Amino acid sequence: MKVIEELVLDENNVAFHPMMGNSYQLNPIAKEIVSAIKQSKSKDEILQELSLKYDVAKEELFIDISDFFAKLKVYGLLS
Amino acid sequence: MKVAVSGLNNTDNPAPGIPVIKSLQDKNELIGFAYDPNEPGSFMPSMVKRTYLMPYPSLGYQELKTRLLEIKEKEGIEAIIPNLDAELPLYIKYQKEIEDMGIKLCLPSHKNFELRNKNKLDTLSKQLNITYPKTYEISSVAELEKITEKSDFPLMVKGNYYKAYMAHNLESAIESFYKISNEWGFPILIQEVVQGEEINLVGVGDGKGELKGAVAIKKLTTTQIGKIWTGVTIQNERLMQIAKDFVSQTAWKGPFELECMINQKDIYMIEINPRFPAWVYFATELGVNLPQMVLDIMQEKEIKPLLEYPQNKMYVRYTGEFVTDFTDFMKLLSTKEL
Repeated sequence: MKVIEELVLDENNVAFHPMMGNSYQLNPIAKEIVSAIKQSKSKDEILQELSLKYDVAKEELFIDISDFFAKLKVYGLLS
Repeated sequence: MKVAVSGLNNTDNPAPGIPVIKSLQDKNELIGFAYDPNEPGSFMPSMVKRTYLMPYPSLGYQELKTRLLEIKEKEGIEAIIPNLDAELPLYIKYQKEIEDMGIKLCLPSHKNFELRNKNKLDTLSKQLNITYPKTYEISSVAELEKITEKSDFPLMVKGNYYKAYMAHNLESAIESFYKISNEWGFPILIQEVVQGEEINLVGVGDGKGELKGAVAIKKLTTTQIGKIWTGVTIQNERLMQIAKDFVSQTAWKGPFELECMINQKDIYMIEINPRFPAWVYFATELGVNLPQMVLDIMQEKEIKPLLEYPQNKMYVRYTGEFVTDFTDFMKLLSTKEL
C-alpha cells in the first residue's frame, strides 16, 4: 500500500498519516489531487479531470501536477 | 492501595513520578519517594500525602532495606512503583526480598532487565524481527578511531545506560566519548544513525506473556535533550505487534517504553526502557490507565487488555509554578520526610 493511501484528509485541508504521526497542510487543489490518488486515479485521469473542471490547458496543468507528484515523492508519500 | 511512587522531579527533565501519581490518585493513597529535597513533587500536597527522602541507590540494598522497613512500619505502604533508571537495578535484583517485607512490586525479571540492555538489544531485536542499527561496543578511543574508518558520519555515541550524542566528525565523537565515559563509565556504544521519524510506545506486560495495555505516539516538539513538549497519538500496527511479541517472548512484567525509528523502508529498534516514560499520563487521559494496570497486576486482578485508543489526540506539556514555605524544604532536608 502506498503511504498516500493511508493519509486521512480533514475539512481544514490537513492530511494526517496515522502510522507515522506526520501531518501535511494542503491547499484545496492539492487536496483534490491527493483524494484522486487515494481513489486510485492515474496522473492522466487527474490531469483530464482538473483541466475540464478549472478550464485550464492540459499542457499548463501538466507541469504543475508533475511538480506536485515530485513533491509527494520527496516526502515519501509516493514511491 | 497505599502506594509509594518515586521520580518526583518535574522540572525541564521530568521524571515519571508525577504523571504516575496523577493516574493513580483517584483510587489510591500516594506516598512520594524522593532522592533530592529539591524534587518539586515533594511540595505538591495535591499529589502526595507524605514524602520520604530515600538513600541513593549507589549505597546498596542494605540501606534501601533499612529505609523501606522504617517507612513500611510508619506508613504501612502496600506497593512501590519505582520510576527511575538509577534505582531500578536494585529494586529488580531484590524484588523477592522487598515483596517478603509485604510490599508489592510489578517489575521484570533480572534476566529480562539485562536482555534490553543497549549492548544486548541486537540479539533481542533479531528475535523480535526488527532491525537494530549497527552498533559497536567500545572501551577506548583507539577502537572508536577504527570504527570511523569503516563507518560514515554521523554516528551516535551512547552510554550503556544514559546519554546519547550525535557526532558529525571524529573530534566531536571523541569529545562525546569522554563526556559519557567520565560520567557513566564503560562500555560506550557507537551506533550508525538511522534516518527517519522517532515513534514511541508505552505498555504494560502482565508477566505471563500478555500485553495488557499500550499507547503509541509521535513526539511533535521536544526540548533540547529530547523530552516531549507536544505529541500526537499514532496507530502503527507494526509497532503494536513488536510490543506484543516483546511481551509474549520475554513474559515481560510491568511497564516499558519502546523507542523506535521508522522510515519508508523499515522500523528500527533504538531503546527499550524498563519503566514508564514521563508522558504516561497521556495514555491515562486517553482511557488507558497503565499505572493502575500495574497495581491491578500486583493484586492479581483480572484485566481486560486495552490496546485501542482515540486517534488524533494531542499531548501538550506546559510548565507551572507554585509557592511553598521554605521551612518545608528545611524539614525534608533535616528529618528526611515531609
